[in-house]
Amino acid sequence: MADFWYNHFNVFMEKGADRVLTGIYEREAIRPHVFGKFRDLLEATASSPAMLFYLDNWQSVSPERAQQQAPLLRQIGKQRAKRLSAEQQAKQQARQAKQQARGLNENYARELMELHTLGVDGGYTQKDIVEVARCFTGWTIFEPRLGGDFYYNDRVHDKGEKIVLGVKIPAGGGKDDAEKVLDILARHPNTARFISTKLAKKFVADDPPPALIERMAKTFHDSDGDIRAVMGTMLESKEFFSAGAFRAKVKTPLEMIVSAVRATGAQVDYAMPLGNQIAQLGQPLYRKQEPTGYSSANAEWVNSAALLARMNFAIALADNRVPGVKVDTERFRVDPAEAARQLLFREATKETIASINNALMQKEPTSALVAGLVLGSPDFQRR
Amino acid sequence: MTTRRLFLKSSGLAMFGIGATPAWLSRALYAADAPSPRKKILVAIFQRGAMDGLNVVVPFGEKRYYSLRPNLAIPKPNGTPDSAIDLDGFFGLHPALSPLKSIYDEGKLAIIHAVGSPDPTRSHFDAQDYMESGTPGRKATSDGWLNRALPSEKQISPVRAVSMGTALPRALRGHNEAVAIANLNDFQIRDTRGADSFEAMYQSTIDQVLNGAGRETFEAVKLMQSIQSQPYTPTGNVRYPNGKLGQSLMQIARLIKANVGLEVAFTDLGGWDTHVNEVAAKPTQGQLANLLTEFGGALSAFYHDLGDRMADVCVVSMSEFGRTARENGSRGTDHGHANVMFALGGGVRGGKIHGDWPGLEQEQLYEQRDLQLTTDFRDVLGELVTRHLGNTQLKSVFPEYTNAKFRGILSV
Repeated sequence: MADFWYNHFNVFMEKGADRVLTGIYEREAIRPHVFGKFRDLLEATASSPAMLFYLDNWQSVSPERAQQQAPLLRQIGKQRAKRLSAEQQAKQQARQAKQQARGLNENYARELMELHTLGVDGGYTQKDIVEVARCFTGWTIFEPRLGGDFYYNDRVHDKGEKIVLGVKIPAGGGKDDAEKVLDILARHPNTARFISTKLAKKFVADDPPPALIERMAKTFHDSDGDIRAVMGTMLESKEFFSAGAFRAKVKTPLEMIVSAVRATGAQVDYAMPLGNQIAQLGQPLYRKQEPTGYSSANAEWVNSAALLARMNFAIALADNRVPGVKVDTERFRVDPAEAARQLLFREATKETIASINNALMQKEPTSALVAGLVLGSPDFQRR
Repeated sequence: MTTRRLFLKSSGLAMFGIGATPAWLSRALYAADAPSPRKKILVAIFQRGAMDGLNVVVPFGEKRYYSLRPNLAIPKPNGTPDSAIDLDGFFGLHPALSPLKSIYDEGKLAIIHAVGSPDPTRSHFDAQDYMESGTPGRKATSDGWLNRALPSEKQISPVRAVSMGTALPRALRGHNEAVAIANLNDFQIRDTRGADSFEAMYQSTIDQVLNGAGRETFEAVKLMQSIQSQPYTPTGNVRYPNGKLGQSLMQIARLIKANVGLEVAFTDLGGWDTHVNEVAAKPTQGQLANLLTEFGGALSAFYHDLGDRMADVCVVSMSEFGRTARENGSRGTDHGHANVMFALGGGVRGGKIHGDWPGLEQEQLYEQRDLQLTTDFRDVLGELVTRHLGNTQLKSVFPEYTNAKFRGILSV
């Protein structure tokens, strides 16, 4: 679930201050809420320095108010400058020159509706995007380059009246304007449907049954966005246990590698090499540049380069050749059918067993090689 | 230049083993004796994130460009590296694209301005999706335009359609075989003891998705072995930039020169979403300039590396939409509408800015904020698919696209 929600509220780790903010983001904004209320999760991400920085909201200010504030900011700057060296002062001035020309930035507002809540067909307009962006002015970060905390700056907040999805947000508000936006979005029926669809696509099948989505969306609505309840509806559904959903999903690179490490009982001393392997398979962790996150569709992961990388990883892991990871190669059985039972926790298909047997006939098979072949087999790529 | 016959003799096709040469390949190679023309190759580059076309091919003759962008505008050509490179007295290249100027002057680089997708979306996700599926406004399309652009043939190579990277992009998905290759040298099962077994498993599995992908993979692996056996040295002293695009284009050049049947290739470069600090202290420096340095350097290296072989090759670049005509408050630009495309190749009618210029006055802007669109991106891609690749089934490549208005980007 942490994987699902991090990916849903994706942040790209290579963007400036997000290098340091991303770890805190996953730990403090995502993980505490993965089975909680969607509204809380939304609030945690909206106010997180990592997201504010990634989607530029920290720089979004009301253009008129920014202009009024410019002399004041310069004043504060001068006072601070007294304590700084000449070099620091020069840097400070360059930064201030940039800040003076700031204005409204729509980036977060757009992705908030398109990707985090309503979905791309969620019935909002360009006008709504601008209104939401105005509501979020002043939601910023204190000293972002130092990895600072959330901070609401009322001096740059747009004080005018806004209308978001037909709901009036009266003039004269403050930090609350954005809270109201989050309320509207978290409780919108299109959000219930969008989130339910995405969960079902991830955990059931690429093309989940509409009836299941409707029931999940109803639970979402009735429980005021209780993620645990929505998951309950999904897990207890007859669709979840239907033939169409059985092993319907190809494992993502993260799932493939984690499941292989678990199945082999490997001891992980140092996780970075595994992270690099996941990247080789096509899913660099915390490094999806686009706010969309990774697709959970099978087609995203089934292609030549990624398949080869999976097979190569499988052989290397079982042969104890992945750095930072220790595998006891002695524990695997040489007999392919038995090895498959050990690693798949079920019977392998007869095609897979026959292929392993045929290929190994003239050779001296080792238990490590057999295990590698099982982990790289089509059977192991499904969940 | 290497002929197919020479390739057959010199490139170590024996790597395939006696009698193991794939049937399609021997047919394709021996067919060189017949007067069949060499296959044309189309290379598509996607600039993800929405490139700021107005700062790439700069309308310096437009007064309003400078009032809309007081901090961002590239200065008028003045001969220094901090100004635009004059192309025709009205448009100029961003100075970071200087390696492309000589190719433009040779008439092998064409620029199309105010081009893009007619769909009004300003969502990266949707706009990239539409541009890659080739069906703006239609999300249900399951395959990509570049896959559909492949002409139907009897003899096909498993590497006729290649994407450089670990994931197959939307544009190349579809019923024609297409492979994703991150690195030509890594494209193999490293442990030879496992290779046969994996191949048999994926050949025989009843899992249809993995069976199809597995077959394509192992056919391509065999073919790559012939390429991997020789180190690659680009022609002359050409040096590709170290970034992703340079390395991808170098590998595409390697595939082209190896004559393994490549017809379409795809690669992409992200980072163009310049909301903040698009320019640094000078407007000719900063994030956009860095990206263009890589872009221009990679295209120029590719062009000079392939030399005469460019006669068969056309490279086309695209980005999902343009950016706001007016700069924003954070030394950047927001999501806009029309953009710029480049077409590079032997058959290109270059040295010219194609398309109609809509102007930048307030009433000339799309929704009063963005560059207006005067050329549909399918006008450009459609012309390349039809006249370069020779696929005349434009209706199936770009369904629902009726009023094709080719711009005459190709001289053939």
